[in-house]
Amino acid sequence: MKDFFETWKFRILIAVAVFLAGLMAYAAANGRLTAAPQELLSVAAAPFQKAAAWVSGGIVSVWDKYTSIDETMEENEALRAENAELRRQLADYDKLRAENEAFKNLAGIQEDNPEMTFVSAFVIGRDALDPFGGFTLDQGTVHGVERGDTVIDDQGRLLGTVIEAGLTSSRVLTLLHPSFNAAGVVSRTRDNGILTGDAAYAPDGQCVFTDLSRESMASVGDEVITTGLGGVYPPDILVGRIVSIEPEASGTSVVAVIQPDADVLGARHAFIITDY
Amino acid sequence: MESRRKRRRSQLYKWGLYALLLLGCTVLQTVPGFLLIGQARPVFLLPLALAVAVCEDEFSGALFGAVCGLMWDYTAGRTAGLLALTVMGLSFAVSVASQLYLKLTTPNFGLVAAGAVWLVVSGDFLFYYAMPGYSGMAGRYLAYVPLTVLMSGVLALPLYRAVRWVSDTFHIDSGVI
Repeated sequence: MKDFFETWKFRILIAVAVFLAGLMAYAAANGRLTAAPQELLSVAAAPFQKAAAWVSGGIVSVWDKYTSIDETMEENEALRAENAELRRQLADYDKLRAENEAFKNLAGIQEDNPEMTFVSAFVIGRDALDPFGGFTLDQGTVHGVERGDTVIDDQGRLLGTVIEAGLTSSRVLTLLHPSFNAAGVVSRTRDNGILTGDAAYAPDGQCVFTDLSRESMASVGDEVITTGLGGVYPPDILVGRIVSIEPEASGTSVVAVIQPDADVLGARHAFIITDY
Repeated sequence: MESRRKRRRSQLYKWGLYALLLLGCTVLQTVPGFLLIGQARPVFLLPLALAVAVCEDEFSGALFGAVCGLMWDYTAGRTAGLLALTVMGLSFAVSVASQLYLKLTTPNFGLVAAGAVWLVVSGDFLFYYAMPGYSGMAGRYLAYVPLTVLMSGVLALPLYRAVRWVSDTFHIDSGVI
């Protein structure tokens, strides 16, 4: 073994280690998560991940069907109750129409914002190391995706933002991540705040709406949408509904816990807004 | 003693199969929802790197470990090189330990792989969850790390058998008795 440390093989290993350390320093200094060697690996891995995600989607959906029958029945009951509530609201159609302006689905957003362009993408990878549900999409810079693009689900509800765009794939930072920040507004009361993630709520698939005024009339069940302020995220993207309101530590404002309407931890398909 | 051409072809098949295993493990590790229990799911790339390291030599094992680590860096969105360096170092250490100290059986390898996974995911947890000061640390650690280590240790066993089979099948007969 002692001899090994004097061989050319050991020197090669040291050279590789120094190269990797340099790569890491470069990636960290440039604010990039990945670097050129990984982009090459991503090009190689993406087609396989894509195929596996497609196969897995079928298996998981069949499995889910048989394992979550109790959950489905409960959900059915909840949907019946919600349906009754919606029928009651239908009576006041004008009011409902006004409220629905804030609850645009993808088609609505497209209709109201013809300048928006979307790229359809499938989720091809999720790694357990990310506790905030970050995932990889099968569309990259060759499809027009850029870092900072907004990611929404099939119904036009916010999922996150593209944090790293490779050639044929891109990584998404979800709204559950504490590094995620977007200007939001409570659609009913028009109270402004900041949408961000919180490690305490991320395991439950929830995020928080901070800097909400203490005088706010926002209440549990209110919907939260993006404002478009800052120009990073398009306006009027549906985020989710308030499930609880808690005082902020300093006492100057309150924090609303949001249950995103999109299934952030389980999404399998998404749209990337590449222009708006 | 085999001819040079036969030895080269044998090496090509062997490393080709290792590369296929690498792609397969990358896919299994990242397929959405696959073997997901709560917040935990098994790690495949690290046990594969360790299996190749113990079935081959410390030099080849360390290099293969670096590639596995880079792949893991990419799929997990980690800073390029961090997991690559870690997996490379672990592959080297485990390969040397298996040559000098360990009696390597399949269950032993499972334990070694589980220990290595525990080290890496705990280190990652420290850098990416504990140090940024996110709340609910203990909850996340307990919900994620032990089960991940357990599942990875169990799934390392068939992975080790597969790598051992490839290594033995394409073993080069050097003529030395």
